[in-house]
Amino acid sequence: MSRILIAEDEPAIRRLLGAILTRAGHAPVFAENGREALAVVERGGIDAVLLDLGLPDRDGLEVLSAIRSRHALPILVVTARGDTTEKIAALDLGADDYVTKPFDGDELLARLRSALRRAGHAQQADTPVSFGPVMLDAGRHEVTCRGASVSLTPREFAVLQALVEAGGRVLTHAALLERVWGKAHIDDVDYLRVVVRALRLKLELDPSQPALIRNEPGIGYRLVG
Amino acid sequence: MRGFGAYLLALAAVALVAATTALWLPMWGLASAALLFLLPVLLASARGGLGPGLLAAGTGALAYNYFLLPPRFSFQVHGIDNVVSVIVLVAVAIVTSRLADALHARKVEAEVRAVASAQAAHFAALLGNGEPDEAVAAALDWLRDHYGPAQMLPMGQVPDAEPDFSTIDRSAAAWTMHNGDMTGHGTAIMPPADWTFLPLSPRGQSGGDVLAVARPADGKTRSETALAQLQSLAWLLGQARDRLALDAERRTRERLEDRDAFRRALLASLAHDFRTPLTVVTGTLDRLAGADEGAAEALDEARRLDRMMDDLIGAARIEGGALAPRLEAVDLVDIVGDACATLGKTLAPLTLDRDVAGDLPLVAADPILLRHVLINLLDNAARHAESRVSISARAADGAVNLRVRDDGPGVPPAERARIFERFARIEGNDRRGGSGLGLAIVKGFADAMHMTVTIEESPEGGACFQLDLPIRRIEAP
Repeated sequence: MSRILIAEDEPAIRRLLGAILTRAGHAPVFAENGREALAVVERGGIDAVLLDLGLPDRDGLEVLSAIRSRHALPILVVTARGDTTEKIAALDLGADDYVTKPFDGDELLARLRSALRRAGHAQQADTPVSFGPVMLDAGRHEVTCRGASVSLTPREFAVLQALVEAGGRVLTHAALLERVWGKAHIDDVDYLRVVVRALRLKLELDPSQPALIRNEPGIGYRLVG
Repeated sequence: MRGFGAYLLALAAVALVAATTALWLPMWGLASAALLFLLPVLLASARGGLGPGLLAAGTGALAYNYFLLPPRFSFQVHGIDNVVSVIVLVAVAIVTSRLADALHARKVEAEVRAVASAQAAHFAALLGNGEPDEAVAAALDWLRDHYGPAQMLPMGQVPDAEPDFSTIDRSAAAWTMHNGDMTGHGTAIMPPADWTFLPLSPRGQSGGDVLAVARPADGKTRSETALAQLQSLAWLLGQARDRLALDAERRTRERLEDRDAFRRALLASLAHDFRTPLTVVTGTLDRLAGADEGAAEALDEARRLDRMMDDLIGAARIEGGALAPRLEAVDLVDIVGDACATLGKTLAPLTLDRDVAGDLPLVAADPILLRHVLINLLDNAARHAESRVSISARAADGAVNLRVRDDGPGVPPAERARIFERFARIEGNDRRGGSGLGLAIVKGFADAMHMTVTIEESPEGGACFQLDLPIRRIEAP
């Protein structure tokens, strides 16, 4: 059981989120605005935050970075559909994931679960890391998928390494491009598409219906276990 | 003071000077007396001009010779004195009358100008007063009071039925409209006309509207000054009319801006405020759906409602010209997979054939718009299919050809052109309602991304929608 803070100004949505979390065995704590949310987090004992970006008193992104600057706990933001830029900004400010209204209860719980799991065990570099069927040894620059060795170009390896280390968290296009190609290329989504395409052809069981590297339209990529 | 009186005055003045000098000659001496004869010349030429001046000079010279110059009381001349006095008097007459004429002309001109500018000021005040169309009417009335019958002729509309206009009037009016010259009565162009036609704006500027003013009722020919004055009034009228047009334009624009602001507010409301209750509804139904079949159905419909709202927002964006697609390399397997997952519940009762290879070329598209296009095509197919929906893609000729087919009743050839219109419904073919916007959005978004979308009959007999997506050329990463 985890204590989850729900920062949401709409009472109906608050109740709905509370019911979804309670049913899944979590203990919801509520805040109606940004100030209250920050106070609850400061008091401690919170395992994760569901943060609506449309809070009445303060800009949601501001609340997000205020929490993130002092605490490492998982933060999931709740946004309206279509606000791609807002989602990207939230991810860049350190949000672990996002859900879009109207959200699907199972999807929400799954994302919360994996965010909590990631928070549970931080990974160290230079040791073999894995995600689902993928085992990656950064020190020896080797990758195996479902037990079979896969040969990757340096770019492909770097992109896969970033995704594996994120452990199911969404990485924005800009974040991936900056890490692998450098700051000058953060707008060159085309490069990323080519490399992800190559990775899928090498890793996916059925590249025509990729199940491992998932695309978030207009936002980025994540690995799905 | 012109005419006969001036000549009389000249003679009287000369007579007076001759009488007094003749009487007092012994006391004044000849030189002073001679000087005194300048006075009538000055007086006559200043008041009456050159004629009376010369008369005063001539008679003065004669009187001087006769009464004063020795031998007195005879016209005999002994010296050169008389010749000199005649020349001096004539010269004074000429110079003085010239000066006086010039002064007089300037005075008259100043008076005319004062009247003209007072008229123009009054006219401008009339035009600037109150509602523009009423002001123009008031100014025309004033013009009629001062210059006789007058009317405004809009460009290209010489009223054939206008009984006051002769054939030559109509030709003159047409000339003014097309060439921007002043024509008709009083002018150099078609002077026999009964009306004077004046352009409302200087040559080369917008509009060909014309002011027509009838010839003066007293039968006289309108003077050049009057014409110039009428022309400046016509230009004032033209400016007022331009202001009228600008005002109307501004009002229309303000109305449009109001409507745009309303539309934007409505869109923002749709995008955010409507989603909150919808989130609660779908979330709650989602929790109940496992236990209750009715709730599962209601959940399906709530999700459909959500998609319809996406369509509404999309339609408003197309309509408002607010679509700015960001084309980038897009992997079709991503978009197809996402669209199929989004429509999972809708597609569940049907067989879905998916034939989109993982190694197709990447295409140039806006991923968000393309996703919406695919969702709408698949949703449309699902609503009309009997049992099967298929989606396939093939690369050919620099493009990837994507097809979405169903095995429903299809679209009759006659209706195919119409199917992409908003709220187009095919008779007897509407099993489950969509938003009526779905295919219009497919077309609108595809156009914005430079893709073509067409419809034909599928081999299974249903509809087959085809989308041609341009292949994205990418330099090596």
